[in-house]
Amino acid sequence: MDNQKNMSDLIDGLKKEIKSKNNEIAGYIDKIDALEQEITKLRKLNPGEASKIKIKRERPEDIFDPDGASAIIIKDLVKQFDDVTAVNGINLEIKKGELFGLLGPNGAGKTTTINMLVGLLDPTEGTAIVGGYDVKKDLNKIKEMIGVCPQEASFYKFLKGRENVELFGNLFEMDKNLLKERADKFFEASGLKEASNRKAKGYSGGMIRQLNLIIALINDPKIVFLDEPTVGMDPRARRKTWNFIGDLKQEDKTIILTTHYIEEAEALCDRVGIIDYGELIALGTPKELMKKHDAKDLEEVFMKITGRRIMEGV
Amino acid sequence: MIQRVLALVKMELLKLIREPANLFMNLLFPAILTLVFGLAFGGLGGGDSSVFDMMAPGLFAYACIFIIMTVSMSFTDDRENGLLKRINVTPTTSTQFIGSHIITNMFIAVIQLTIVFLLSLLMGYRPNVDVFGVIMAFIFMLFLSLCSVGLGLITATIAKSAGAASGLSFIFILPQMFFGTFIVLPEGIRIISAFLPSYYVTDALTAIFDGVSPFTIEILMQLGIIALMGVGIVILGIFLFKKYCKVYFKQSIFFFFNL
Repeated sequence: MDNQKNMSDLIDGLKKEIKSKNNEIAGYIDKIDALEQEITKLRKLNPGEASKIKIKRERPEDIFDPDGASAIIIKDLVKQFDDVTAVNGINLEIKKGELFGLLGPNGAGKTTTINMLVGLLDPTEGTAIVGGYDVKKDLNKIKEMIGVCPQEASFYKFLKGRENVELFGNLFEMDKNLLKERADKFFEASGLKEASNRKAKGYSGGMIRQLNLIIALINDPKIVFLDEPTVGMDPRARRKTWNFIGDLKQEDKTIILTTHYIEEAEALCDRVGIIDYGELIALGTPKELMKKHDAKDLEEVFMKITGRRIMEGV
Repeated sequence: MIQRVLALVKMELLKLIREPANLFMNLLFPAILTLVFGLAFGGLGGGDSSVFDMMAPGLFAYACIFIIMTVSMSFTDDRENGLLKRINVTPTTSTQFIGSHIITNMFIAVIQLTIVFLLSLLMGYRPNVDVFGVIMAFIFMLFLSLCSVGLGLITATIAKSAGAASGLSFIFILPQMFFGTFIVLPEGIRIISAFLPSYYVTDALTAIFDGVSPFTIEILMQLGIIALMGVGIVILGIFLFKKYCKVYFKQSIFFFFNL
């Protein structure tokens, strides 16, 4: 009986996959048909008239992501600072609802990549599409749907914790009641309820990280960028933050996590990407990477890949 | 948009109250300055009050000039602490952010004028002015605060830290203090005043508080000049700050990560 059920589940899964691929192919065929029709129309016109016709161009985001299943698509992304290439032709696709870990040694290009995705840096070359919008064209639309938790304590120390959260909620033009409701929920969950009415100047390292995270999430973002969210936390606070991040995943948010704690990435992430010298050198689920590199944990994978590159002087 | 600007204005006003350095420079310093000058040159002790009467309009401008320092320190401090970056990843535009600074500092200028005016009266200053003259004085101060915000932005562009900003702001503060307020200049160097916003404000306020109608051609021309200066300096400040702060930001990433 069990075998039959397993077989039936497997067949259902395969059917779904085929259906999804069919839809994808159908999308491409529709686009080719539309283009063919435009070409036929143009052929019938003389050159003077043809130049007056405006062809409806496909947005790059539609071409890269026809089924709209991706939260982030990066194509040949390059960032150069004068003669130094910080990010060198990265290609990456992150699905909606995925918790993706971006790992790499110091100076590998992780933060530069994130900064391009959130609009703090302009890409030198390539395309990045976040939430269906191109970072070069629709940055304001992207900013409305993202939450960014930076490494440093970026809030006003003279304001109380709650005042900081309210300030950033207002910058997203949130409804007052909703803002209060979400702030209460986060302060309760993070254990900062009492401290929220104190000035942030007196917060401990762990409280600072928690407040940083709450500010990043107050606008209920669809895509969350967490840059080293547990740095400086004691093991208990770190575990609590892991649970917090796990809860976010349950809310179907896409999370991009950069971290130096490899065990954090292994415990939390659906997939990880390892960046070194501005290039994406490994990509997959933690299990896939461990299997591929014959390693007992992700840290060993990381050391093997990045260590080898150092030894080889790449 | 209004919700964002109001939230930022509220934050800036809380900074004014809760940060001792801001409170001192913006409100206590003008008050102390007026009291000291009033005691030294006013008629309280039975002396001749004419010197203080001549100085008082310059004191109004004097207080507002120091907005340059607080604005430049505020912007550099926000940049150093990653707050500009954080605000930059919200839908807030730079115009809304700088606009909130302008509104806050105009409000501070109004409070400064009120404090200095009331304390000057207390120290024996008796201006010959009607209600229209007082309103015009406030309008002049609003434009001077606009100039100060713009010069503060330019200072923040040059300075790499809040400490450096406080020092560098004197590039704009000192000339205005000595060549554009109550200090009587020799004929030969008076031409310098023509380039200083505080000169037009002091000159107009001296006339207004001396009983001259605020609607004379000369005063309206001075209002026009200070308004043009204010708008021009703010536009230049925004342009430079937007252009070069992005460069500083890129450089800081560059050095921090040794890329």
